[in-house]
Amino acid sequence: MATNLKPVDVVVIGLGAAGGVAVLPLARAGMKIAGLEAGTWMDPHNFRPDEIHNNVRRLVTTSAKAVQEMPTVRDSPTGPSRPRGSIHPMMNAVGGTSIHYWASHWRLKAWDFTARSEIIKRYGASAIPKGSTLEDWPITYDDLEPYYDMVEHEVGVSGKAGNIQGKLDAAGNIFEAPRRREYPMPPLRGSGYTDMMAKAANQLGWHPFRGPAAINSQPYRGRPGCAFHGYCSAGGCHISAKNSTAVTTIPEAMKTKNLAIFERAHVTRIVSDSSGKVTGVNYLRDGQEFFQPAKVVLLASYTYENSRLLLLSKSKAYPNGLANNHGQVGRHFFAHHQGGGVSALFPFDINVWYGAPAQSTVVDDFGDDNFDHSSAGFMGGSTLTAATEMHPIEAASMDTYGRGPTWGSKWKAFVRENAARWNTSYLQTSSFPYETSFLDLDPEVKDPLGDAVCRVTTGGGKENEQRAVQFAQKKMEEWFRAAGAIEVRRPSGAGGAPGLSTHAYGGTRMGDNPETNVVDRWGFSHGAPNLGVLGASVMGTSGARNPTETVQALAWRTAERLAKNWKSIAG
Amino acid sequence: MNSGEATKPPNVSRRTLIASAALVPLSALTARAQPAAAMAGALSEPERKILEAFVDRLVPKDEHGPGAVECGAANYIAQQVAGALAAEKTNFVAGLAAIDGFSQRTQQATFADLSAEKRDAVLSAMEGGSAAGFANSRAVFSRIRRLTLEGMFSDPHYGGNTNFAGWDLIRYPGPRLAVGPAEQSMTGEIKPYRKSAWPQSSSQSSGGGHGH
Repeated sequence: MATNLKPVDVVVIGLGAAGGVAVLPLARAGMKIAGLEAGTWMDPHNFRPDEIHNNVRRLVTTSAKAVQEMPTVRDSPTGPSRPRGSIHPMMNAVGGTSIHYWASHWRLKAWDFTARSEIIKRYGASAIPKGSTLEDWPITYDDLEPYYDMVEHEVGVSGKAGNIQGKLDAAGNIFEAPRRREYPMPPLRGSGYTDMMAKAANQLGWHPFRGPAAINSQPYRGRPGCAFHGYCSAGGCHISAKNSTAVTTIPEAMKTKNLAIFERAHVTRIVSDSSGKVTGVNYLRDGQEFFQPAKVVLLASYTYENSRLLLLSKSKAYPNGLANNHGQVGRHFFAHHQGGGVSALFPFDINVWYGAPAQSTVVDDFGDDNFDHSSAGFMGGSTLTAATEMHPIEAASMDTYGRGPTWGSKWKAFVRENAARWNTSYLQTSSFPYETSFLDLDPEVKDPLGDAVCRVTTGGGKENEQRAVQFAQKKMEEWFRAAGAIEVRRPSGAGGAPGLSTHAYGGTRMGDNPETNVVDRWGFSHGAPNLGVLGASVMGTSGARNPTETVQALAWRTAERLAKNWKSIAG
Repeated sequence: MNSGEATKPPNVSRRTLIASAALVPLSALTARAQPAAAMAGALSEPERKILEAFVDRLVPKDEHGPGAVECGAANYIAQQVAGALAAEKTNFVAGLAAIDGFSQRTQQATFADLSAEKRDAVLSAMEGGSAAGFANSRAVFSRIRRLTLEGMFSDPHYGGNTNFAGWDLIRYPGPRLAVGPAEQSMTGEIKPYRKSAWPQSSSQSSGGGHGH
């Protein structure tokens, strides 16, 4: 039998990038919060500069529960399942994926919120990608701007503004939407390589700038500036200069004494009553079953898990899963097109060993709708990123660019000369939701408790995005060549385009229409008024940049809405 | 608040952290990465010979310095398939046996006894997927090559990269806890920093009890 615990005001399920931010405005407003986290606090002593540990075996980013609950993947409802591999970055820890992420921290553009109407206005209704379920967001950039600003200062973001209230500055991103003020910290310093790439972009007439990062470029709120040691990706920060929620908003919320964190809490169901309101959650902790009653539940696990937990939480009021009376849970799922696979070989050492993926030069000239798409053959666009952080095994695993064999003395001579002379690039392409991409429960594969795991149906490659990716790959090649590359490897296809990536969106989309969306414009369920959903699962478009700052701005906004309207929401 | 077990973050000051970052005791995570007694009995003597004869051709010792064997790649592989990669040991050993079987069929000799040229012919056939009667030869080739790269270029903690020879080969300047602007420039030499990220590298202690 489950032990009934004392009621709290709010239960937050998952203390990662989203839930870890939402607890701060709630705690400051005096709500009593139970933070349920399936993982544990991670010990910074275990964050070390070791490629095998972090990048090959992924010992920082993998957790047993996430592995056991890994979604299954198929490309179509009639097609076979793919081999069940890792869908990085599902993981469990206080701080979640914000511990090991690259910490590239972006605001979306105004265009990303109204892409549907903007596309129709500029290119006509026939330009909307076929089969997409694209809608305008119910909110605009201006609605979210105050929360972007709040998150940038509370979490700590380094960057250079390109547009302060309409005043452009070419040292920053001139394509960004207007912001009220400068970033709280200057951008991360450049490296020899990122400076070289900036120079090449300028020569092409483009507008390069240093990418924004939730990494301290100087001491900030008691934590040091970045040490650029080159083991940021898939590793935690050994000096807490990376602003994961585990070292920023969560400790800040704990100071209020209003947040209690329960590690190793495996939430199995969200419970709802006959009126359709949620009453609390069931969870397992060290083999014991608990029921935690709460006036409000905020669901903040990863995209796959948000849909899964709702679909598992059936009741009389929700026979097909919580908040799913219109069959929208799991719909409008999409994966960010990212990666792109373009690499280059230079005739000199480029010294990209140290640094961090967020120590970058970025080009946004081809992002979103920053150029005329009349004859482009696709809608949306990409950011191009040149960054540091190369590890030795990765370096030696390089392409030989057709210049020699892959083993033997000649190969050894090749890597001896060239392992220090090549780099990859990072392309992020705005991606849309489609009718054929969705999440549901796998009818066969279960976790050790017997609960169905999430099943991803990708719908296969989407023509619009594949064309957009190929366009970006060509631009990246142009950029590398301008910087002096003697070889460029560009995939013939669209790289990582078939629909799974480390940025997963949708499944609980935000919108005013309950027949096509799960949560309202504030992030609360259309069905269950005291259930909020946090994370990229509420986003209807991705833009051409990393999602975390938008996820956190939305989480803050939902939490603030709750604090300011406590009686009407909590009932 | 309730259920009485709310948790707090680990209490680590920055000072402690930096001071201890280079000399952390082998802790719980170590056990995960490198289970105890990983070395002994990993591979039989004949298996070990096949492996060494193979990686020796993947990356030979030559005028550019030590090869895969001298860099400890075989040592790394032997340790890891007995430890962190134990789940693939059966497949791995079967792959070694298949290499030897192919060698016996086509060269009438055990692989480890073949000349360098004949071993190269076996590697080429495997890589090209043309090794008759050796269905997964390409996969076996790829896996050994991948593990050889790991062994040559990983932190010596895992039993390879002997004397940092792998890092010297590709001019990797070494893991350090803090890096200044000069160390990220494209002009000028960076002085290599040759230390394991772990307190005591296993390659500098016992070689794993193999006597190699």
